[in-house]
Amino acid sequence: MPIRKSYLLIACVTLWIALGRILHGKDTLQLDTYENTAFTAFVGDKALDLRGNRTESAAFVYFFNPIRTFIDGFVQFIRDLIAVPAQNSVIPVIGWLGVVGLVAFLVFATSQWKTALLAVTLLLACGALGMWQFTMDSIALTLAAVLLSLSIGIPLGIWAGLSDRVLKIVQPFLDLAQIMPTLVYIAPIALVFMIGAASATIATMIYSIPISIRITSHAIRTLNQSPVEAAQSMGSTGKQTLRKVQLPMAKQMIVLGINQTVMAAVSFVVIAALIGAPGLGLPVISALIIRNVGEGFVAGFAVVFLAILMDRSTSAAAHKKQSFIPPTAKDIKRKRISLLIAGALAIVSVFVSRTMLWAAVWPKEITIAPQIEKITNDATAWILDNLYIFTVGFKDLVSYSILNPLEVQLSASPWYVTVGMIVALAVIIAGVRTAILAFALAMAIVLSGLWYEAMLTLTQTIVGTILTMIIGIALGIWTGRNDRAEKIMRPILDAGQTLPAFVYLVPMLGLFGPTRFTAIVTGIVYSIPVVVKIVSAGIRAVPHSLVEAATAAGSTNRQIITKVQLPAAKKTILLATNQGLIYVLAVVVIGGFVGAGGLGYLVIVGNSKPELQGKGLIAGAAILLLGIIFDRIMQASARRSS
Amino acid sequence: MKALFTRRSAVVYVGVAAALILSGCSSSVNDSAGEAAGDCGSYAIAMHAWNGYTASAQVVAEVAKANGCTITQTTLDEGPTTYDAMEAGTIDLIIEDWGGGRWQEWSDRGAVIDSGENGNVGLIGMYVAPWMAEKYPDIVDSKNLNKYADLFKTADSGGKGAWFEGPAGYTTIGEKMVGANKLNFKVIFSGSEAALIDGFTKAEANKTAFIGYAWQPWTLFAKIPNLESGHVIFPANDWSDAAAASGLTDYPSTPLMKLVSKKLNEANDVFTTIVKNFSWTNDDQNGVAADIEGGMTPEAAAQKWIDANPDKVKAWLGK
Repeated sequence: MPIRKSYLLIACVTLWIALGRILHGKDTLQLDTYENTAFTAFVGDKALDLRGNRTESAAFVYFFNPIRTFIDGFVQFIRDLIAVPAQNSVIPVIGWLGVVGLVAFLVFATSQWKTALLAVTLLLACGALGMWQFTMDSIALTLAAVLLSLSIGIPLGIWAGLSDRVLKIVQPFLDLAQIMPTLVYIAPIALVFMIGAASATIATMIYSIPISIRITSHAIRTLNQSPVEAAQSMGSTGKQTLRKVQLPMAKQMIVLGINQTVMAAVSFVVIAALIGAPGLGLPVISALIIRNVGEGFVAGFAVVFLAILMDRSTSAAAHKKQSFIPPTAKDIKRKRISLLIAGALAIVSVFVSRTMLWAAVWPKEITIAPQIEKITNDATAWILDNLYIFTVGFKDLVSYSILNPLEVQLSASPWYVTVGMIVALAVIIAGVRTAILAFALAMAIVLSGLWYEAMLTLTQTIVGTILTMIIGIALGIWTGRNDRAEKIMRPILDAGQTLPAFVYLVPMLGLFGPTRFTAIVTGIVYSIPVVVKIVSAGIRAVPHSLVEAATAAGSTNRQIITKVQLPAAKKTILLATNQGLIYVLAVVVIGGFVGAGGLGYLVIVGNSKPELQGKGLIAGAAILLLGIIFDRIMQASARRSS
Repeated sequence: MKALFTRRSAVVYVGVAAALILSGCSSSVNDSAGEAAGDCGSYAIAMHAWNGYTASAQVVAEVAKANGCTITQTTLDEGPTTYDAMEAGTIDLIIEDWGGGRWQEWSDRGAVIDSGENGNVGLIGMYVAPWMAEKYPDIVDSKNLNKYADLFKTADSGGKGAWFEGPAGYTTIGEKMVGANKLNFKVIFSGSEAALIDGFTKAEANKTAFIGYAWQPWTLFAKIPNLESGHVIFPANDWSDAAAASGLTDYPSTPLMKLVSKKLNEANDVFTTIVKNFSWTNDDQNGVAADIEGGMTPEAAAQKWIDANPDKVKAWLGK
């Protein structure tokens, strides 16, 4: 059976290539970038109407605008508190020293003094990078988005945890939100809520709410059922069981959900700047525009510090040791006294930060930003001068050998050939139901008029994913089999996951020029950490007995990897590929900023040119459709393989 | 364990509450500072990302601040996003708009008001790397471009010459120019200023072929001497009929505009005067922009120009 499947696949691909050659250049649906179809023009007109109606139509006056006003006000309130000069004043309500004191106190109170010390160090480092106000803006925005997300996500998550029907309703939305590249939905949101903090907060929430729903419902569902049943049998009402049994038991997991929600919100900090949000995204984006690598990295470091700060202070609370030895009276007293002292210190620091200018506004003299900027700029210049020849050679090699042939195959074949092949592949790999879905979605892209551009983006995504998987599986095997490698790689992977892709888009531009390949490499760098982590976990999950048996039978290392560990981890690797593909797709589209063209460029140009607005919005939708097609196929094939 | 937790959180709440209350009532530096004197309101200037814009906006901001206005500067994408922000009342001034009337929809609704030219003239064109203009003198005539198309081939241009278009928000007609002039080139949308800077700089340094979109005022012209010599001239230059001008023509020169919000338009204070009178030359802007590019902060570069040009500043203030 498996053999026949692979024959079928090969036959399919051969037929596809042959048809592509014969019908080369026919019905490719290519459009000039500045050409609109009737459909894109229609959507563009509607979008313009929407802009015009914002002050008049009832939906705006009574629904969207109040939401915007509320969220704007909420964010502004937090910003006034810590980030920007409050009304009629030159300093925020709480100056930098006060913020440091409060953060130290809060972290100390919820976890331990070591974490608090780390938090303070990271905050001061952000200040020393010259990014104090940007950091505070980002914290304000993140805080607002997280609080609002949790106030929606946790109740919904609990509900979905208790009711199968609710879970069934929200599940597709959760899946969708996970696939959706962030670049895609900022434009429609900005259309409705306009540029600014409100739009950025809402976009962040769309990204982070699904995570809190997912983890909360998971927490409720995976509880040990016996205490719940016991409570029910003793006649507790549903509400009582929830409040007295289920929630306390699920608390740890829910806090973990909060941690993940916070991390999702932090990772949105840079993208948020594209729709006018204040914060660390601004220097990152402006560094891209004027091509100042050093400045971009300084801001990028601040983002990473902020992410570590948020992660450690929330995850420490989630992983707090549950001790079975009750604390002695002395312990309690000691903790309470130290808390009182810390609290007093925090109050003093807030007070000082309101009375002394040096404690209110971060002193400009204390900065290491110029040095770091210079070091990164020099390092980049050196790399560019010395490695450019190699990187360009490598780029050309990949371009001529893989990228161009694939692009010709996908974009220069008639659309019906490619759609047919996608459907055929889906039938073979994932089954008929998925194939029907793939057909419907692919046809939607065709009808939208953006098929050709979609094929360009698809080419880049496929090449990026292939390269990602080659590197990712190799590193994953290495870290999965070797504890020391895991230890070395872990911090690098963590940093790679939090460093915004925009930060290294510019150095990549230097290495590979304004080309598709720059976008692909950026996508690869962005997705490798996730792939490595999943593959490594998959390898580690292979039962020891299997490996030991193979070793005892005299297998070499290579045999163990290829015959035992990889096959046993096949499902995980398929999932990793899926995850990698979605990540590459999400970043390849920002390659529109550096000459990669495709759907991503249409999204970007649609944001800034009214006449292409419709096309940009539809391009966003097409990216999403592409993502869903591949996600569904991969998920179904992973399910089948188990 | 549970009791400890609640008691601890009680302490936390009390602590935070105390800090907040304290911050509400303590005497603060706020009271003594701020409250600038002068007959001027508070306004927000849109900050677009290119250095030339920063130069103009910063000079206006510094003059306004020195005359008692409260100015906030907000980084925003050019075009519709900023017009929307003006409609929403969060932005009051665009000091340099290249849109060529793209604000019409907003203007019709009275949300964005044209406040005249700012004295800068925008020139857009297609440029080859200057070393090419020297080596192949006839390349700067668009009729000869096809002769050299092979030179411009890259891995990304599908067997044709690579033609790099401007950043997303900019006015570009490359596709039409290529089509109408039957050029054997493939249009690649560079997507950002960074991509173009990268392209021109490397091409000139490594003597590789490059044709791309460029505009003035732009600081790249200071960094690559003779970039002007690479300007490729296209036939005719009649922009009066937009339909006829589609493609065969070159880009027109664009007087850059000042756009103001309804609030700023209706106000009558120092800032309105400054904005109405503001006008300076491409050279003025290039000077300030070059200082910023050279590592000066925008504030310092603007102040340097203001100190050196008291007469112009006086004229803006209507004195």
